[in-house]
Order: sequence, then structure tokens, then C-alpha cells
Amino acid sequence: MRKPVSTIYRALLMTVLFIAGILAQRVGLITYITDPYEYPVILDLLLRHLYLVAVSMSYATVIGLAAGILFTRKRFRRYAGICMYILGLGQTIPSLAILALSMSFLGIGTKPAIFALTIYSILPIARNTLAGIFAVPASMIDAGRGMGMTSLGILLEIEIPNSMKIILTGFRVALIINIGTAALSYLIGAGGLGDLIFTGISLMQTEKLLAGAIPITLMALLADLLCELLGLILVSKGLRLSRGEKAV
Amino acid sequence: MKKYSEFLSIMIIFSVLSFSLQAYAEDREITLGGKNFTEQYLLTELAGILLEKSGFKVNMKTGVGSVIARKSLENGQFDLYFEYTGTAYTVYFAQKDREIMADPDKVYQWVKKADENKGLIWLDPILLNNTYTVMMRQKQAEALGIKTISDLAAYVNTHPDELEFALESEFWERPDGFKEMMKHYGFRLPPGQVKKMSVGLTYQALKNGHVNSAMGFATDGRIAAFGFTSLTDDKSFFPVYNPAPVVRKKILDTYPQIRSLLKPLAASLTTYEVRILNSKIDVEHEPVRKTAEAWLRSKDLIK
Repeated sequence: MRKPVSTIYRALLMTVLFIAGILAQRVGLITYITDPYEYPVILDLLLRHLYLVAVSMSYATVIGLAAGILFTRKRFRRYAGICMYILGLGQTIPSLAILALSMSFLGIGTKPAIFALTIYSILPIARNTLAGIFAVPASMIDAGRGMGMTSLGILLEIEIPNSMKIILTGFRVALIINIGTAALSYLIGAGGLGDLIFTGISLMQTEKLLAGAIPITLMALLADLLCELLGLILVSKGLRLSRGEKAV
Repeated sequence: MKKYSEFLSIMIIFSVLSFSLQAYAEDREITLGGKNFTEQYLLTELAGILLEKSGFKVNMKTGVGSVIARKSLENGQFDLYFEYTGTAYTVYFAQKDREIMADPDKVYQWVKKADENKGLIWLDPILLNNTYTVMMRQKQAEALGIKTISDLAAYVNTHPDELEFALESEFWERPDGFKEMMKHYGFRLPPGQVKKMSVGLTYQALKNGHVNSAMGFATDGRIAAFGFTSLTDDKSFFPVYNPAPVVRKKILDTYPQIRSLLKPLAASLTTYEVRILNSKIDVEHEPVRKTAEAWLRSKDLIK
């Protein structure tokens, strides 16, 4: 039963790839990206894009995790709601507006772009850290305390490992949004693949538009896959979903 | 029962009324397009106000790149927008004849004729030349002894890693844009020193010292206000860019009055005036509509 389905699936995939190839050739994408003068430029933009994403994501992860952990501590717990609300504001402002706002006090270039992307990515991480830690059963923490663990021990050995899956989901969401949003940073002079997309739009050059959009899509897919792998490493075996169970 | 029929009749009257109103509005509806920089917002607004005052219902769709504006006109999504003679000549018709493109009249006649076959009519051109220009901060330009683009080229050739340049990606790619300009003047800026950004930001970037040189538009008020100098195009690379309303023939045939309605703009809008208006918008941050209305009023074009 399994075999014919996968054969059909494979045939379909081949057809789709084939058609995509023809289309890419038709709009001049292949000629464009293999042009010896153009591909170093594209590569350069791709690296800039990766750089923006990597730097802003590391900031966002550190800040998000810290905020999430801080507001699950007993002393700060009552501020959790208001803090998440403030962080949430960062996400409700349109991404373009955040870029423009950060530009108004950080100037033009890489700095404001990284700042804006960071602001934009903190919320999913912080919120999921908070939710993940809150979801750890109180009985587990009690058990830990009963065994004489310190608060730090409880955090590192019980709370974080048990909420890792939810934190990772937040990280994944943030990362994928970040990759897409980074395309806008061209507008404030930070480069990235958005350069190709906006050139493509303003001059109706489809090959440029695709040369910018396709790598971004692939990057997002790849990031998703990497998060999956990261889950295998970071989430302890006992907590992983058993096969066939649907992820939340 | 009576109440019900009353209600029904009122509803019918209302719907008939609104229907006829709508039909009337559609009769005189016109879509004005515009590109994505200050002068275009201004020109579109000026034309929009003039048309509105004579009873048109005007939809404005501004903020697109050149090629999109052109395509939208061809597809009938725009009925009218202001295009520059030099842009049409070099970008849409891919022409290179320097003798034609340096002469305002010749290039206007050329594009006018070429577009007639496509059902697009060029109305009276406005005699201001909104050419692309290469700007530097006055002080730095003086310190480096750069007055013309040739000077800049020579400087870049001897100091290849020094100057950074802010521009918009459209200008980078266009046949009358930066890549071709570098070829024409015989210099090459390393790609890392070209900072691409959204079109209005280049002035800010140059002002704040993020770059040493930037592209701009000759009629932009910020050149004077921010203390920039425009480098002379001494090897006449750039064509003449006179804006003119381009309208679809079908629309012009239906409303021939458009031609005479927009004529006053061509007669009274000069480079000097548009520079002042642009600077009101960009430097003093006045709303475009207010600026446009005040100017029209000062010229007695509206009451």
C-alpha cells in the first residue's frame, strides 16, 4: 500500500520541479543567477541577510529567554502580564514602522535594522518561555524541592528541560518571521536580499524578484528543519512526542 | 402592513438614489498614478486638485516605481500620471541617442510620437528639469576639490576605498542610472561601498555622514537646505527630464477638457518654484495637499 503512494508522490514532485525549472528559465532567473558579474552580488546580499538574521536572533534569544525566566520567578511573577503586554506591543506595530522608528534614532544602516529585527523577534521567544515554564507541573517542582534542590537547580534541571519544546517552538516562529522581515531592511540601507526584491518590484524584473524571494523561502524552510534537529538535541528523549502524535 | 410598505418604499428610493449617484460618480472618475518621490506626490496632488475642482472624482494611486507606473498606464489601471521625457526615452524605449536626449524639445517630440501609436498621449510638458544628480556635502566636496562627476571619477580611481555612495536600487539598475554612469565616466565603485536604500533616505544618509555621496533629484529642496552641492554632469550622461502628464487616449477622448485643465501647470511651474514646494514638503514637513492647494491659490488657479 505504501509503495504506489510514494511513487505517485515522487512523480508529482519531479513534475513540479521540472515545471519550476522551465519557469525559472523562461523568466531569465537561471541566466541571471549564473551571470559571473551578478552571482557574487547575490551571494553578498545573501550573506548580509544571514548576518542580520543571525545577530538579531541571538540578541532576541538572550533577551527573550531572560525575560521569560525572570517573570516566572516568584518575585516578579505578578509583573508577567504587563511585561508580556509591553513586549507584545513590539509585535503589533507593523514591521515597516518599527524599521522607520528605529531609523529615526539610530540612523541608517545595519544597526537600526538589527535593533528592529530584535524587537520584532523577542515576543514569541519570551512568551513561549513564560508559557513553557508555567506549564511545568507544580508537583515536579515540589519533588525537586523535596530532594533538596536549589532554585537554580530547579530552573536548570526541571523547569527549562521540561519547557524546552515550547521554548523551541517560540524560537522557530521568531526565526521564520525574522527571516522574512529582514527583507525589509534594504529600505533603511542595511542590504540583504530585500535589495533584489525591491529592485525587481520597481523595475518589474521578475528574475531579480525571484532571485531575492526564492533564497528567502529556502532559508526559512531550512531554518524550520534546523529547529527540528535542534529539538532532537535539546529536548530530552523522554519528553519527545511519540511517533504519529501530532505536534501542537 | 402599512408600516412595512412605507419602509420598503423608502428603501427603494434610497437605493435608486445611491445607484444614480454612484453612476454619476463613475461617469467622471479618473485614476491618477504617481511614483515614489516627493515631486511626484506633489505633481499628482496638483493635478488631482485641479481635476477635482472641475467635478472629477479623483482616485490617487501613488508610490510605485517607474516601470510599474508605466505598466499600470498601459494596462489601464492608471488613467494619467506624470512621466519624465528622459525616463521614457532611455528606460521604456531603450534609446541612447545623446543628441536627442539632451534637447528638451527633441526628446519630448520623440516620446510623444512613439507613444501615440500605443494610445498614450503626452500633454503639455512642464519646463522643469528634474534630472538625477550626484550630491556631496558642500564642505567635503570643496575639501576634496570635487566639482564635477569627472572629478569624482578621478578621485574614486585614485582612492578606491574611500567614498561611499547612497542610492536607490532603481537608480542603480536603470539604463540612465548609476552602473551606466560609472561606465560613462570610467570609474568603478566597489559593490561594498554602494549603500542601497529607499529613495527619500539618501539625503538623510548623506546629511548624517553615513555616506560621502548620494543620488538625488535636482528639484529636491533638501539639496540647498542640507548644504549639499550637485556635481556637474560634465560629460552629459543624463538626459533631460521634463515631466508631462501622460494620459490614455480613451480617457482624453471622453474628457477632452483634461488638456486645458492641466495646461496652467505647464505654464507656471518652474524648476525654481517646484524646488521651493518640494522643500516645504521635505524640510518643513508640510502636508503635500496643503502645499499644493496654497500654491494653486497663489497662482489663482483655484479659489
